[in-house]
Amino acid sequence: MDATLSRAQRLRKHLRGQGEALVFLLPAYALFLLFLVLPLLEALWLSLHQEDLFGRGRVWTGLANYQKALSRPEFWKSAWLTLKFALITAPLELLLGFLAALLVYRPYPGVALFRTLFFLTTAIPTAVAAVAWGWFLHPVGGLANRLLASLGLPPQPWLTSPELALPTLAVITAWAGVGFTAVLLTAGLQNIPAEILEAAEVDGAGPWTRFWRITLPLLSPTLFLVGLLVVLKSLTAFGQIHLLTRGGPAESSMVWIYRVYQDAFFNFRVPLAAAEALLLFLVLLLMAALQFRLLGRRVHYG
Amino acid sequence: MGRRRRLWPTYLLAGGYALLLLLPFLTLLSASLRPEADLYAPGLLPPRPSLEAYQEALTRFPLGRFLLNSLLVSSLITLGVLTTSLLAAYALARLRFLGREALFGLAVALLLVPGEVTFLPLYLLVDRLGWLDSYLALTVPFLANPLGVFLLRQFLRTIPEDYFDAARIDGANHWQMLRHVALPLSAPALGALAALTFIGAWNMYLWPLVVTKSREMQTAQIAVNFILNEEVARWNVVAAAAILVLLPSLLAFLLAQRAFVRGIAMGGLKG
Amino acid sequence: MRMWTRRVWAQAILSTLLLLGGAQAQRVTLEFWHSMGGVLGEATEKLVQDFNKSQDRIQVKSQYVGSYDDGINKLLAVLRAGRGYPHVIQVYDIGARIMADSGAIVPLEDLARKSGFDLGRFLPQPRSYYTVEGKLYGLPFNSSNPILYLNMAAFQEGGIPFKPTWSLKDLEEAARKLTKKDAQGRTVRYGLSIPIDSWFVEQISYNSGEYFCNNENGRKAKATAVAFDNPAAAAFLDMYARLVREGVAANTGRNWADSQSLFAQGQAAIAAYSTASLTGVLRQVGNRFPLRTAFYPFLRERNGVAIGGAALYVLKGFPEEQVQAAWEFVRFLLEPETQARWHLATGYFPVVRGVTELPQVRQAHVKQPNYTTAIQQLATSKVNASSAGCLMGAFPEIRQYVQTAWEETLKGKPALEALREAKARADQALERYNRGVAQP
Repeated sequence: MDATLSRAQRLRKHLRGQGEALVFLLPAYALFLLFLVLPLLEALWLSLHQEDLFGRGRVWTGLANYQKALSRPEFWKSAWLTLKFALITAPLELLLGFLAALLVYRPYPGVALFRTLFFLTTAIPTAVAAVAWGWFLHPVGGLANRLLASLGLPPQPWLTSPELALPTLAVITAWAGVGFTAVLLTAGLQNIPAEILEAAEVDGAGPWTRFWRITLPLLSPTLFLVGLLVVLKSLTAFGQIHLLTRGGPAESSMVWIYRVYQDAFFNFRVPLAAAEALLLFLVLLLMAALQFRLLGRRVHYG
Repeated sequence: MGRRRRLWPTYLLAGGYALLLLLPFLTLLSASLRPEADLYAPGLLPPRPSLEAYQEALTRFPLGRFLLNSLLVSSLITLGVLTTSLLAAYALARLRFLGREALFGLAVALLLVPGEVTFLPLYLLVDRLGWLDSYLALTVPFLANPLGVFLLRQFLRTIPEDYFDAARIDGANHWQMLRHVALPLSAPALGALAALTFIGAWNMYLWPLVVTKSREMQTAQIAVNFILNEEVARWNVVAAAAILVLLPSLLAFLLAQRAFVRGIAMGGLKG
Repeated sequence: MRMWTRRVWAQAILSTLLLLGGAQAQRVTLEFWHSMGGVLGEATEKLVQDFNKSQDRIQVKSQYVGSYDDGINKLLAVLRAGRGYPHVIQVYDIGARIMADSGAIVPLEDLARKSGFDLGRFLPQPRSYYTVEGKLYGLPFNSSNPILYLNMAAFQEGGIPFKPTWSLKDLEEAARKLTKKDAQGRTVRYGLSIPIDSWFVEQISYNSGEYFCNNENGRKAKATAVAFDNPAAAAFLDMYARLVREGVAANTGRNWADSQSLFAQGQAAIAAYSTASLTGVLRQVGNRFPLRTAFYPFLRERNGVAIGGAALYVLKGFPEEQVQAAWEFVRFLLEPETQARWHLATGYFPVVRGVTELPQVRQAHVKQPNYTTAIQQLATSKVNASSAGCLMGAFPEIRQYVQTAWEETLKGKPALEALREAKARADQALERYNRGVAQP
């Protein structure tokens, strides 16, 4: 076969491949471009400007909004609250989900029912979860305080005290995520080869030892990854805060994403809010990059 | 028999734990079944069960219409996401072309954009297009989803090369391979994606609140927000509306639990 | 659903009438955004229907756009987009300055003057509240003021007589006496419950003759700083924090509904809400206990409260005939007969003269005298810059800071300190607002 012809053929084939790929990619990527990338760029553009609250008189100010955002004590307070929120939510959600996963990862008669019950929370809309908890913790009619009273304990201002509001919201968020982590950890537990555990049992290891020495170490990469996912998710928790505390009391639940919302839609400081939002996006990207690196390593060694 | 007995602790533990987890939800159900006068009566069971609150929620808001809108919007979005994602994922997984890795990387990065960042620009864009207060605004911006592209691309890469080779030998082009190999083989992944997308769309809250004005266009989540915002919130009506909004997504979950669970497991664990 | 079909029917009937009328003038459809939910929403829809039925030329399409905050957010979004706005929108009291500064509305005064409507028909307070730099901008559609709600069964039990006016000191003493605790010292019935809302801090300032923002509440000149670090506001917050610590006052957070259910369940003896809450609270209380209402408290001497609620604004940018139609709708709402129906359905008080003398209003007042409290309170308020209420920009944001200060006092911070901290942030916000609006 003639070499030059073959190269031309290959080129033609290559170009046709490019064209074909374009047709496949076009619907999704055109939509991404229009409804994700473009708004993202516009947010970036906006964050480099100053304007009045009706969106008039836009002037270029460079990085001034970023500077302002980073120099506000409110911003750092929000960043800290976000961290605190994640630090309560993530371990709790992992623990609750792990407990559920342990109860349902092995087959036994009736396990399907319990799986359904534990995984159910993944299907509950945020608004409904917030309403359910709002009522559960209601100062007058709520069951939570009634249960406390029946134990002889004083009622707690769950969502109305600055000390309790953020932890309460974190518990609610963890609760709403139980199904999510339970699903992931059940899959993780099922991936542990049964032979290893059986071999250990034959060697005389009790259930406790097996759990600590085999199950947990083998599961730990999964646990770590799920943990990262949960943290990522908790950084953008919005609906429950919007419906239950609106960032209060005393701004004790004014997490980063809520600050963005507040500045954009309440204080009408759209450019500043855009800067704050993009900073949050940056943090999320960094976290995801971290996740991918770790994931790559796991795949490598696993 | 012995096995049964050994299982009792598990049953007890799992049952107790499930009850604890579902408690807030059960109190909501209980509130929704109470007339206003009994709302604060103690106990988990309503003393005089009644459907008064449901009736009230359904007459005060055209909840039927809202639910129908939610159903329509969620179905359209699901259909759109499945189509666009499968096409793009096929190209990213099976075709060789320039910038493939970059485009995949873009999808991954876009996966992380919080909706709050693009909210206002997106609103202005939709307005410029003249779509406000229409199904277009509720659906079109969400017809493609980076998560869908990501999930399906990862899944398609796990399909053994042999399947495609066999088709190629038979002279199939990419469209035919997509139709006859990739589509049937990725049915489980598509089911999972459908479940995730449907529930995600069903749960949209802030966007429909802002882009719709007329009642004929509003979705079910908004009703919950509106009822909660009334100056004298009647919790039994709020609860009834919440339950009504929950039912369809619960039903979808029960019907497609397998797909759903697979979707979460795939999205979470497969790198 | 029912309401919806009814509207369809009304439309069908109207269009039939129109066809029969033959060569009628062009029909105008107006869009009207409001934030009235629940009982108030029903009453609003009723008024709109009445208007649509009263003539066959103008059709008002009303839309509930969520809470006041949701409504103004939506408005600012459409203003930013430059189109898609309604002909008439309801915006809460504290949006008055923002609306005037937006340059997007037709001042009501211009419309009234053109059609020879006598602005003297307004009661002085609602009119002065929405007057910005000498011009009336909005129609004070739903006007309220804060009142005290008293559980008379608890009062009887505690041997405390009813009083129509209350100083803060009297209120504190009564609240202590009305509190009931069990053997372990847990509160069974609180003496006082007020939701954490900046509005109550604003009103205690006005009712004690103080300003909430400088330049005489922003009435003499544009407000450039807040003045809520005044003795009345500080005394009010200190008192409330003290009582919460003693287990005398309840802390139900910012949510009005939670405080109202506490009161309606008989678990709080005194509460403060808006007059507009009256219908809802009465329904919630049912036959549980007799309810009476009283004037809002003051620090030393009663000055008078400002009005709250919201106003309707007519927006610019529409053809003349549509603006004219919007004005006709507004005028309809100002008719004494309309005002009477609105007042009796909601508890908001009439804003024009000559409504309380109408026979149906008198009868209703005899039956339910609680509805007269707000009107009496308004009529006996001194008319001055203090009771005109503070007019300033960035008010929604500033309210957040005041509420934060209130919550700080509950954590143990002295009120004056908390208010000063809030003032620093509020002044910044206001300065930024004023600078932003001054831009071309």
